[in-house]
Parts: sequence; structure tokens; C-alpha cells
Amino acid sequence: MRAASDVGGTFTDLVYYDYDATSGKSGPVRVAKADTTPPNFEQGVMDSIHKAGLKPAEMTFFAHGSTVIINALTERKGVKTALITTKGFRDVLEIARGNRPDLFNFNFRKPKPFVDRYLRLELDERTTYKGAVQKPVDLSPLSQQLDYLKAEGVEAIAISFLHAYLNSENEQAVVTEINKLWPEVSVLASSEISREWREYERTNTTVLSAYVHPIAQKYIESLESKLAGEGFTEPPYMMQSNGGIATVQSAKDNPISMVESGPASGIFAAAYLGNMIGEKNLVVLDIGGTTAKCALIEDGDVKVTTEYYIEKDAKSPGYPIQTPVSEIVEIGNGGGSIAWIDTGGKLHVGPQSAGAMPGPAAYGRGGTKPTTTDSNLILGRIDKDCFVGGEVVPDMAAVEQAFAPIMAGLGVSLIEAARGVVRIANANMTNALRLVSTNKGYDPRDFALIAFGGGGAMHAVALAEELKIPKVIVPVNSSVFSAWGMLLTDLRRDYLQTHPLLVAPENAHLFADEFQSLKDKAQADYDGDGVDGAAEIVFEYLADLRYVGQEHTVKVTLPLDSAGDIDLAQTIEQFHGVYEKRYSYRLDGAVQLVNFHLIARIEVPKPPLAKKEITGRALSDVILHERVVDFDQHGIHQATVYDGLALEPGMGFDGPAIIQEPSATLVISPGHRASVDGYGNYIIQLDFTEKGA
Amino acid sequence: MDIFTTEIIKDSLVALGDEMFNAMVRTSMSPIIYETTDFAVGATDAQGNLLAQGNGVTAFLATLDTAVQSALERFPNEGDIRPGDVIITNSPYLGGGTHLSDVVIILPVFHEDILVAFTVNKAHWTEVGGTEPGSVSTRATEIFQEGLHFKFLKLYDEGRINEALVGIIEANVRLPESTLGDMHAGVAAARVGARRILELIEKYDRPSVLHAMVELLNYGERMTEAELLKLPQGEYEAEGIVEDDGLGNGPFTVRVKVTIGDGKMIADYTGTDGQVAGPINCSYTGLVTGARCLFKAVTDSEIPANGGCFRALEIICPMGTIISAQSPAPVSLYYEPLIAAIDVMWKALAPVMPDRLPAGHQRSVGATFLSGNHPDTGELFVMGEPLVGGWGASEDKDGDSGQFCCANGETFNIPTELFENRYGVQVEQYAFHDADGGAGEYRGGKGVVLDYKITSDVAYLTYAASQTISRPWAMEGGQEGSNNYALILRKDGKVERHHMCTGIAVEKGEVVRLYTGTGGGYGDPKRRPKAQVLSDIKNGYITEKQAADFYFLT
Repeated sequence: MRAASDVGGTFTDLVYYDYDATSGKSGPVRVAKADTTPPNFEQGVMDSIHKAGLKPAEMTFFAHGSTVIINALTERKGVKTALITTKGFRDVLEIARGNRPDLFNFNFRKPKPFVDRYLRLELDERTTYKGAVQKPVDLSPLSQQLDYLKAEGVEAIAISFLHAYLNSENEQAVVTEINKLWPEVSVLASSEISREWREYERTNTTVLSAYVHPIAQKYIESLESKLAGEGFTEPPYMMQSNGGIATVQSAKDNPISMVESGPASGIFAAAYLGNMIGEKNLVVLDIGGTTAKCALIEDGDVKVTTEYYIEKDAKSPGYPIQTPVSEIVEIGNGGGSIAWIDTGGKLHVGPQSAGAMPGPAAYGRGGTKPTTTDSNLILGRIDKDCFVGGEVVPDMAAVEQAFAPIMAGLGVSLIEAARGVVRIANANMTNALRLVSTNKGYDPRDFALIAFGGGGAMHAVALAEELKIPKVIVPVNSSVFSAWGMLLTDLRRDYLQTHPLLVAPENAHLFADEFQSLKDKAQADYDGDGVDGAAEIVFEYLADLRYVGQEHTVKVTLPLDSAGDIDLAQTIEQFHGVYEKRYSYRLDGAVQLVNFHLIARIEVPKPPLAKKEITGRALSDVILHERVVDFDQHGIHQATVYDGLALEPGMGFDGPAIIQEPSATLVISPGHRASVDGYGNYIIQLDFTEKGA
Repeated sequence: MDIFTTEIIKDSLVALGDEMFNAMVRTSMSPIIYETTDFAVGATDAQGNLLAQGNGVTAFLATLDTAVQSALERFPNEGDIRPGDVIITNSPYLGGGTHLSDVVIILPVFHEDILVAFTVNKAHWTEVGGTEPGSVSTRATEIFQEGLHFKFLKLYDEGRINEALVGIIEANVRLPESTLGDMHAGVAAARVGARRILELIEKYDRPSVLHAMVELLNYGERMTEAELLKLPQGEYEAEGIVEDDGLGNGPFTVRVKVTIGDGKMIADYTGTDGQVAGPINCSYTGLVTGARCLFKAVTDSEIPANGGCFRALEIICPMGTIISAQSPAPVSLYYEPLIAAIDVMWKALAPVMPDRLPAGHQRSVGATFLSGNHPDTGELFVMGEPLVGGWGASEDKDGDSGQFCCANGETFNIPTELFENRYGVQVEQYAFHDADGGAGEYRGGKGVVLDYKITSDVAYLTYAASQTISRPWAMEGGQEGSNNYALILRKDGKVERHHMCTGIAVEKGEVVRLYTGTGGGYGDPKRRPKAQVLSDIKNGYITEKQAADFYFLT
């Protein structure tokens, strides 16, 4: 039995399937859901296992993704943390970058640092920008400083010195001394967390890591012991933000690497699925209750970046976290997003969400605000008789009441208001999808749209129409796709190292040396993790490159020559190409490397996925009913509604149609053709001969 | 045309500002663009009404639309502007003008040979020639010393680049690669915007998009009007000073009378001192920008800025003042009087709008330039950056510490690790200082002290600040903030203080120490709870002596 669990804000999803090692056969994928149980999230995980009737003793593989890190950060539930910096720089954490994104708000306040000033201490030391130690760290005040921090009730210490990304000597000296003087306290040095420059970003990352470090350790240990207590004999794996899984040891050492594990696994699962079904260029859309997340996969490659922030929006600079995270754009638009009119008479959808409680007005739990889900009900896209998997009878009176202010404010009917809300929500999501595609030089017509999450199927076809994407894929089990993705990932570690260097033949040996030392580190880290020594590490070589004189970089996968060395001439060519694609011009200038980036992967054996069973039943047998559905610009039609669970590979039909599953509704507007592939994924071919809008 | 489609086109027009902004940040060659984001991007309709503007700095708020308006005056006849043209201007005294370093790129957008819009960007180029490296001087007496002056020239003529103009730029600036890189980035960003407008027209058709433009402007006007009605109606006055023109003259007074009533706001700057001999003059475009910034801050700062938002704002000022300077007044430090113009309006209105406006802040860009040769390569560098300082306290909060001034916005300090790598100069501290100032029931935010230790044989410092003698103003019995100034710590132990200087030699091992002001306090310090004062001491935000002297802590 292979299983993965994904802890979400409301539910903990469990996805599992049988695997018979002797026959090499896999059983169908099954799903269980339990309530999420903060603050003891591991309880929800165990509940979902029990609900599914699984015996941990029979599990051979267990992967786990959790929001425990991001929750501890956003709810400020980490431990009391101190910071030690280079003398003269303790206020960098509070100054941050000095920016004010809320431009015309003169009563602006920037986000408060995670460490108060009285817990930010300094030591006299200095490393230069060339990585030379100019002044070894003076440890003489440290013992007294630690006494002070102890008395203040500090539980974790972050250390961040200037240029430690080049030389960690001074930081390490402090770590060693603290381990000696105060072995119980959590200590993290910036050089262990990030090897990139920009002292504010690296310091903040280290601080946030330290802040959640003891919590993550406790959580992972308690999950391990609960699983072991019920007989699980393997080590569990933890999902990371870079799309790979990590051993528990690695996750405990660097917990911030799990900060965005949920979205990452969905995106990487999309890449895996795309690879399997021959769709290597994908626009990825994950629509949940509160937000929609978008990403782009080019030639099977998920982009991973270290320019990641939490709590950043149009008004707030947020907090940077320099850890590898799959590149996503997230907007406040999901099924529960609330529609409202501003004083100028403009209709908005989101970013406020009705959440799970009270939820959309139709839930009848006291929600008085109109949401996207309510609009889809009004338009007949969601089945009134099968709302929330048939568990809820929608309160349509409450829905009408909730829409009254919009109807009055804009002078429109209920239907028109609902269409407007869906259209604005779609426009918001279209803009987000544009940010990951057209804005970066990609033509959506070269891509397929893969949509999942609770609301993915509902909006996917309409969004593909907007962006002229010719094909939509809604994967089987789309509402628990992220958890499913964890069963498909490999062990992965990313190593970034800032080392500004001209890309030129005379530097070839420096490239080779730097990558070799990163590879050695990867090998040592995997050895230290207790990963099977025989496992082969697969390396990928990337670099963040720029024109000399520019600041921002683009990531390029480095080509190898026949001898297996980095081909620098080809690298430069590649950079020009990627750069021009993104920015529409190229320069003659010299090319400089800023960061080396090594991906070190160990493949986890994955049994083949089971195909969906074909019983030979007729298409007419899987029709649930026909109902009137409003397809907005496409008109109002009598649509055929199919039972998604009963559809079989090879079946196909044209819109207007709806595919209904207990937790997902796929809306297919007229003219487009849907089919079911061998695994049970829905594939919709769009027809653009008739202009949609 | 249904209302929701119009809404969606409007949103797409607003989103275009952000798209152009990202393109510009990513492609620029100059730290002043990619870190300081000393630029603005946006689009106007065919008449030059601002449709949307991308986040950069606040101080460019009136520079895009007025640039297009002046371009239309310069090229008045049909056929003067053709598809494929790109217009370039940096003329301070006309629309879009600030100082010569800020160059405007205007790209007319045609659909089927009909002019439908302009996409525009204005960015601070690191170098446009002139007497001083970095093209900013504190001692210029005429604009001719401040660099190349482009007055609405065609950079591209029907798609062909103007090689003669490019050649002139290349031969007249100190860092041609960087300057021409900035130029290309500007054109690329404008093209991104143009492409999006054409995509919208292809999707919806031209009349729908043009209709949405009109609606967008009307929406801005409606939203602003509603906000204006909420403000306390009446007349409010204030004045402030700009200390020095760089030539030793000054101080100069900036005055304003703000009238709110009849759904309008009038900012009357009559009574402000005349233009000055040194380069601390601001043109009328700069003044419009300043007044618009404050207007936006007190109406709704969240409404996307467009031309409609400013229909209810009237600005009065006779020509030839320090904030409405005429040719050939030198203008390289235009932003200091511009900020003073914002600040007096702010000071006039804060007492009646304490929920929107805090007490006075450091009120200076504190622009600091260092030039010299990199100790490793010997190559010339020109470093230019604004400084962060303390903001004022407000009726319910302490002020922010270490933030860029109100004329900046999405402006980023240069990380020390990048700074040292790029310039070789060693940064010795970047910290809050504890100069007196800002005490109050709510405390002003802390100013910063920043040390640069010179590591090459010699480097040259250019520095210009205001509020070097006057202090950030307080509210409701709070204490004023502290001053902006620069020190040079000489090898022989002497310490020099500077407020305005150009090209001062600083030798190896000497330190440039920059101080920025702490913001003004709000309310009587005695009203600050004792626990709070003790916490301030513990955090080092105030010293024990300050606690005793200003908070009467016993």
C-alpha cells in the first residue's frame, strides 16, 4: 500500500492505492478525507488513515505534505527567536528594503520583523565580498549574550553574517560555540539555509526558519512516532516546496523548505501526468476555496525560484524567503470568493472569501455575501440536487438575498449578476494566467491547460477560451490532485550558490569546480540523511544568468558537451534565446553567472498507475440527467450531465455538457469535445472556429 | 456593450501598468531603475489622459500624461506621429519634465492606422552627460551643465531607429552601455504595453476598448468625488523651507493654501519664493506631481491612479518660482522642492485628517552619489542611491523606521552584499541612530546611519539633502524629528559636515557617514504609557537619557 496525505486548511486528504510487488500491479487510486486538526495536525493524518481503514503496518511508502510551517508563520505561532548579525547590521531585519508598495498611502506601516530589536544582537566580525575573512569573529561577548537570551525565554537563534553565502567560517564558529554553551537551543546559520546574496532576504529566511524549527521538529517526530506506533516500519517522506520529497532528517534540519509544499506537489504532479500522456507544455491552474494558483510547465520542466514571499500583495512587501519554491502566481479568487460593489459602482470578486465557515450563501450556514459558487449554482452549472456531493440542499432564498445589493446597485437581474460575477472571476484568473504565460513570452496556443483543485474543472474551459488554449485536461481525482502528486515525486535537493562569474571559456574550470563541490555536498547530505548509499543521484545543472551590468537574472538549464562538461559557448547561446523570449530583445553584452543551481534527485521507484476499468457500458448508461445551464456568452442550453465516476476510457461527447463528480463539476460549453483517456482523465478539445466572445 | 465586458477591459487596462513595470525592472541595466525603481510606466488615451500607471515612485505621477500632452502640442497635425514612431524627451520645463536624468519614452499605439493610445515610460538613466558623473550636480547654474537635453525628438521614425541621435548619446555620456541599455529597456517596456492594448482591441474590437477608456476615466472621477465629499471642507495653510540651493543661497519658502469645497480641491502655492540660482528648482510638472500625490493620499489611495481622479484638483502657482521654474534654471535636484511642495500640503491637512496623514518625515531623497574606480578592476563606477529615514507618528501608531521618503515608493535599498561587490566600497554600518527627536505619545520612526568606507585610492562624494536645519514637524504636542546630513570622517581625525556638496574627494580609509532624520512625534510624550517607554529603552529605540529628558521617566 502506498499512501500520501496532504493537510489543507479545512480537510486532510489521503490518497492511496494497492501495489502488489510480486505481480507489479497497482490497484485503483482511492481517497479519504478527515477534518484538519490544528494544532495537532498529525491527529488528522491518523484519522484519515483510520477512516480509510488502512493499516500503517501494511504501508510500504508514505509521503506527507503539510501546512504546519506556513500556518506557524502566518499565525505567528513560532517560538521566541533571537538573531545575531555582523556588528552594525542588526537593523537590516527591520529596515528591510525600505520600499512602500502602497504608493499613495502616507499612513503606511511595513510588516513587523519576526525578531524584536532587543533580541537582535551583534558580534564583531567581517568577511569581504570576495569571501575572505577580514576579521575573525570575536566570541568573547557570546556567553553573556546567551545568558541574556536564555533569561528572555528564547528558544531559537538565527545567525546571519555578511557574505556568509561565500564563506561560512565565522557563522560556523558561532554555531559551534553555542552548541557548546547552550546545547538545548535551536541554532540555524544563514549559510546552512541559503547560499545566495542579499543580506536582508537571507537573514529573514534564516530568522523564519529558526522561528518554526522547534515546531517542525516536534511535529515530524510526533507524526513519525504515531505512524511507527501503529506498525509503519519505513521512514515517512516530507513534501517540500521544490516539488520533491525529503527524508524526515533533512526536513527537520531545514523546515522552511516545506513552506509551499501543497501547491508544489500539484504542479509537479501536473508535469508528471503531462509527461505520461504526451503533454509537455502545460499551463497549470489550481482553484481552491480562497485562492487560485497558476504555473507554467515548459517541455516538462517546472520552474523553481528562490524569489518567494509570504504575505506579499499589492500593498505589502511581505517577507522574502530565499528557498526553492515552484514558481507560482497566486490570486485571491476561489469558489468562496465574495463579490462586492465599490463606491464607484464597480463589481469586484475577491480577495475576501466566505471560507468554509460560513461558506457561500447557498450553504445556508449564515453566509450573507454572494460568492462565485453561488453564481455557478444560479447559472445551473452546479447541480442544485447534488450540491457538495449531495450533502447540502442549497438555500436559494439566501442566495437571492445575498445578490440583492448587486442587483440593485447595477440594475441587473439575478442571472445577469451571476454571469457578471463569474465573468469577473474568470477575468481575474485570466490575468493571473497571463502573468505566467504571455507576460513571460509564451504563446498559450502552444500549451494545454491542466486544471484541478475543487474549482478547477468548473472554470477551466471558459479560461482556455479566453486565452485561446486549444486543450484542457482535468485529471482524474482532480479535487485531491495535490495529495496524489506526492505519490509521484522523487527525493530532491536544490543547491544554489551565489558566485558572480563571467561566462567565458577561461572560467570553464571554475564552473566545473563549483558544480563538483555542490555535488560533493549533495552526496554528503544524502549520506547523512540515511538514504540508501547505493541509490544513484541524478544531477541537473542550472544557473541564474544575466547580462553584465543588469541585476535580475534568468534561469537557464546548462547544456553539457559530449564529454559531460558544461558547454559554455552553448550556454551563452541558450541564455540569449531565453532572454529574448522573455524580454523581446537581446544585447551584445557579456554574460555573467550569478548563482550556480544544482538539482540533485534520487528517484523513488513508482509502480505504473492503474488504467481505468472498461466494462463496455454504453455512453447512454452514464447520463445522469439533462438540465438547463447558462453558458453566458454561449447562451442557455439544455446540457447533458454525465456521471464522472461511471465514465469509461474511450468515451467522448460534445458540449453543451457537464461532467459531475461528488467533489468536482466540469463545465463544457457548446462546440467543444470531451473525451476520457485510459487513466480516466478528461480531455477537452476546444473548437475556436466559432468565435466565443 | 454590456457593463461587465467594459469592466473587464478596464481591469485589463489597469493591469497593463503592472505588466510594463515588470518588463522594465527586469530589463534595465541600471541599479537606479531595477533597485530604486526610479521610473514610471503607463498608458494614456489618444488625447493624453492617463489610463493606468505602473508602480514605481510616487514622484512621477504627473509625468506620463503631461509628456504625451506636450508631445501632441509639438506634433499637432495628423500624420506628424506615425506608426512605428517612438518619441523621446527629458525637457524639464515642458510636460513630463523633471530633470534631465529622467528620460521619457513615448510610443504611439495605432490600430489600423488610427491612433488609439500611447504607452509611456519615464526612467532615471544613470548617466546623461553634463559636468558631473551621474549628471546630478549641486553647483550647476544653468541647465546646459546638467547633461543632454532631448526635446520631443523621434528616437524611432516609422520603425527606423534614429542612428544620429543614438550616436550623440553614445558619445556624450560616461557609461554609454548602461545608458543605451536603459534606453532599450524603456522601448521594450513601452512595446509590452502597446502589444496588450492591441490584443484587447483584437479581442473585443476598437469601439469597445475606446469606450472602456472613457469609462475608466469617469470611474476614477466618480470614486474621487465620493472621497472628496467625506473630507472636512475648508481652507488650510502651511509653509516649509528648502534650506540651500547648493551655492550657499537660502533658505527658500514654499507656501500653500488648500481649499476643499464644492467637490473640488484647490492647492494654491502663490507666495512661494522665486526660482533660485542653484539646481534646486522644480518645474511646473514636478509641482503638479507633488500636489497630485498628496491629493491621492487623502482621497482614496487605493483607486488606481488615472486622469479622471485628478479632474477635481486645481493647482495654482505663478510661473518662475522654485516649484515652477523656467528655462534655463538648473533643475538636477528638482525632487527636493517637489517633496517640500508635497510636505506643505501634507502639513496643512494633517491636523484635520489625522487618520490619513501622520506627522512629518525625513522629507528628503538624500540622494548620495559616489564615483570612483573599482579597487579590483580599476573600472569607473557611478553609484547613486536615495536614503531611508524615519516617518512620522500618527494618531494611533508609531512611525515607520528606515523607509524611503514620500516621493519614492516601490524603491529598494541596495543590499550591502551587492553594493560591496559592485563598487568595492565597504559598508561599515546600516543601523538606527539615537539622535534626539520624534518623542511623543506615539514615537516618530527612526532615522538611519550608514557608513561607507572608501577602499580605492580616492572616491568622490556628491550629496544633496533638505531638512538639514529644519526638522520633521510634529503633531499634537509631539517632538520634532531630527536632521539629514552627511559627515566625512577624515584620516587625520577631522570630521566635516555637508548638506550639499559635489565631487568632494574622499581618500582610501576615510568614511562617509550619512544620517537621515527621525520622524516627528504625535501627542505629548508624557501620555506615552510607562511600559511602552521601558520597552523602547529595552529595544534601544530611545536612550535612558531621552526617556528622562523627554518622557520624564523617573
